[in-house]
Amino acid sequence: MKNRQATFISFTLAFMLILVCSSQAMAGETYKIGFSGAMTGPTSDVGVPYSKAIEDYCRYVNDEKMLGDDKLECFIRDDGYETEKTKRNFEEYLDEGIVFYLNYSTGSSLAMGKDFDEEKIPTITASYHAGNLDVSNYAFLPIVSYTSQALALADYLVANHKGDTPQVAMFIHPSAFGRAPVEDLKKAIAGGLKMDLVEVVEHGKDLDNTAMLQRWMNKKVQYVICQTVQPPVATMLKSAQGLGVIAAKYGEPGKLTFLGLHYAGGPDLVALAGSAVEGFYWTTSYTLMTEKGPGRDAQLALAKRYGRDDATANSQNYTNGVQVIQIAVETIIRAKAKGKKITRQTLYEELLAMNGYNAYNSLTTVGPASYSKTDRQGVDMLQLYRAQGGVFRPVGVPFAYTPPK
Amino acid sequence: MAQNRWLATGNFFTSYKEEQRIFLTHLDRLVFICFLVVLFVWPLFLEVGNKYMLVIDNILIAMVAILGLNLLTGFAGLISIGHAAFVGVGAYTVASFARILGDSHVLITHAWPLMILMAGGVGAVVGAIVGLPAMRLKHLYLVIATLSFQMIFQWTINFMSFFNQGQTISIGRVFWFTGKIVRKQHYFFWYYVILVIVIILGLAVRNLLRTRYGRCLVAVRDNDRAADAMGMHPGLTKVYAFALSGFFAGVAGALHAYLFRGAGFESFTLHQSISYLAMAIVGGLGTLVGSFLGPTAIIMLDLQVENLSEFFKHQFSAALDLATALRPLTFGLVIVLFLMFEPRGIANWWRIVRSYLKLWPFRY
Repeated sequence: MKNRQATFISFTLAFMLILVCSSQAMAGETYKIGFSGAMTGPTSDVGVPYSKAIEDYCRYVNDEKMLGDDKLECFIRDDGYETEKTKRNFEEYLDEGIVFYLNYSTGSSLAMGKDFDEEKIPTITASYHAGNLDVSNYAFLPIVSYTSQALALADYLVANHKGDTPQVAMFIHPSAFGRAPVEDLKKAIAGGLKMDLVEVVEHGKDLDNTAMLQRWMNKKVQYVICQTVQPPVATMLKSAQGLGVIAAKYGEPGKLTFLGLHYAGGPDLVALAGSAVEGFYWTTSYTLMTEKGPGRDAQLALAKRYGRDDATANSQNYTNGVQVIQIAVETIIRAKAKGKKITRQTLYEELLAMNGYNAYNSLTTVGPASYSKTDRQGVDMLQLYRAQGGVFRPVGVPFAYTPPK
Repeated sequence: MAQNRWLATGNFFTSYKEEQRIFLTHLDRLVFICFLVVLFVWPLFLEVGNKYMLVIDNILIAMVAILGLNLLTGFAGLISIGHAAFVGVGAYTVASFARILGDSHVLITHAWPLMILMAGGVGAVVGAIVGLPAMRLKHLYLVIATLSFQMIFQWTINFMSFFNQGQTISIGRVFWFTGKIVRKQHYFFWYYVILVIVIILGLAVRNLLRTRYGRCLVAVRDNDRAADAMGMHPGLTKVYAFALSGFFAGVAGALHAYLFRGAGFESFTLHQSISYLAMAIVGGLGTLVGSFLGPTAIIMLDLQVENLSEFFKHQFSAALDLATALRPLTFGLVIVLFLMFEPRGIANWWRIVRSYLKLWPFRY
């Protein structure tokens, strides 16, 4: 009798042990990713759709079981564009055990670069400031830097200008983000780029830019390069329209031709500036929702699936957000495929190996995102667009731009 | 003097000296010592994440700053809306050394107590200079003078390349007797450093108020002509109040720079100055205990409002504007409510609780 009892108990225990182990194995792992961005405060018009994109794609990954039995958990918090809050969010995420971090502002990316290195955590920033890469070996840009974008625009500007040396003004955001490409542009001019940088204006919260535009006209400025977010650009364009100084064709004498870097233009600018956007030149590495393609269809489907409104679904900032989280998820998928344990280090290694045939195409960019130890700028291609009939249309084909050393 | 030094339920002073004791009863002293022991010991037993250690460290730094602002506004009656700029002066003193010598220079990493003291000194000098108009100006005019200092500070930091145009100037990790303070120990280490500084400066203010220099501040606040007639120099007293306040703010700035491992423009804006003023008002102007309660209340409130904003954002996608407005709205509302219903601040609640406990179980 006692033997039977002992056998029964040992069988029961063994069964329970197997049950516990197998249920643990079936439950899968949870990988955590953190994002801190400006959903309120300055630049929140960019940060809101950006964060919604990250949230939606995270849900999509889990709903579609893209990681098999494993789950993705995304922490998304508002930092109001304040570095102190960003740092607090980052510390919270580290306490939670994140394996990948997505940052937003230029200021916080520069301030926290050493933290990324110390924590050895791969980080993709929404800021394309080249300086982010200097302060941290673990910082990555989703596309080419502001400097490359500004220099590419400047090259185009000079190459297509007719007449004397073009007189150029810069209209920039009053922050590290806005100032990022200014010094490099000045260096390029000192190095032989044939243009004069007449004035660099850091905008405030002006509701009208008439005085500034009049001053530029008096100084014979012909081109304005914008490095800021869309609302101040829209205000300036409306003032320019009121004055009748927007060039009808590129480089028209006595008028102003406006050009913008990634965050300064796009469909969001069309929505804000209306007809004043006509003739605005804009460069980015992303494809547009106004152009038919698989990227557009996928984005619309994603936004619709999670109940987003049309403005969000068509926002290029939503596109940006999707792309960065796609890259992060892709590193997890690749590391899993190789049988590696998902850690910060393995994801960092996967990012560095994302080049050549392994470069990642997110469908919403004009070229694949590729990273290596010597190149931490994702998509190396740029596309020039021009606003025509209320829509940004491509000008020429995508081009690779490498800034002079 | 009270017969029982442990449980005095009323005032039994027979001399001014007795009235000026730091602790009126032995029980007060014992409770204070026990409270200090708790403050020093709790991190050893309770595990708190880095996020909350950072919040706690921030509260302690704000306490140092508010001690200074309370001396200026609460005790000397001089309203300043440029206090964040004074804090910034301290932070940028350390950052300037880092910029010139390198962020890991031995002076920054090893002689950090000296750097903190130096930041306080620079803050005091700048405070005294900014306080010079106080010899001539009063009330609203003085407020505008401090506002202009805030503007000058912001412009200087934002546009001078030496200050990296407001972008963060990084500061290296410090060393202690045990070696380099690595990331894991960072917030824990600075908790103790800032706590010690808060205690020292708190006792210093308490002592200052017992001296004639402290009484001078209060006399000038209450009636500067009467103070003048009594042989005090109201103008110099005001400048001295600004210098003292600048010293506290400078120390707070240096601590801020070390805690965040860098100095960046956005931590020292006009908005932050108004926050400091709110902390002083909510805590209780002209009270020492208010300097500790105000920062705690406002920073914790800020944190809760943030959580509420997050909730709104997730619940109502169209309510984003509400989420953006929630912080300034709550902030303004709290100040207005305190000014209307409790102008003496949370410190008054503390006073009521203490007197109730002192007399307990009797009501009178």
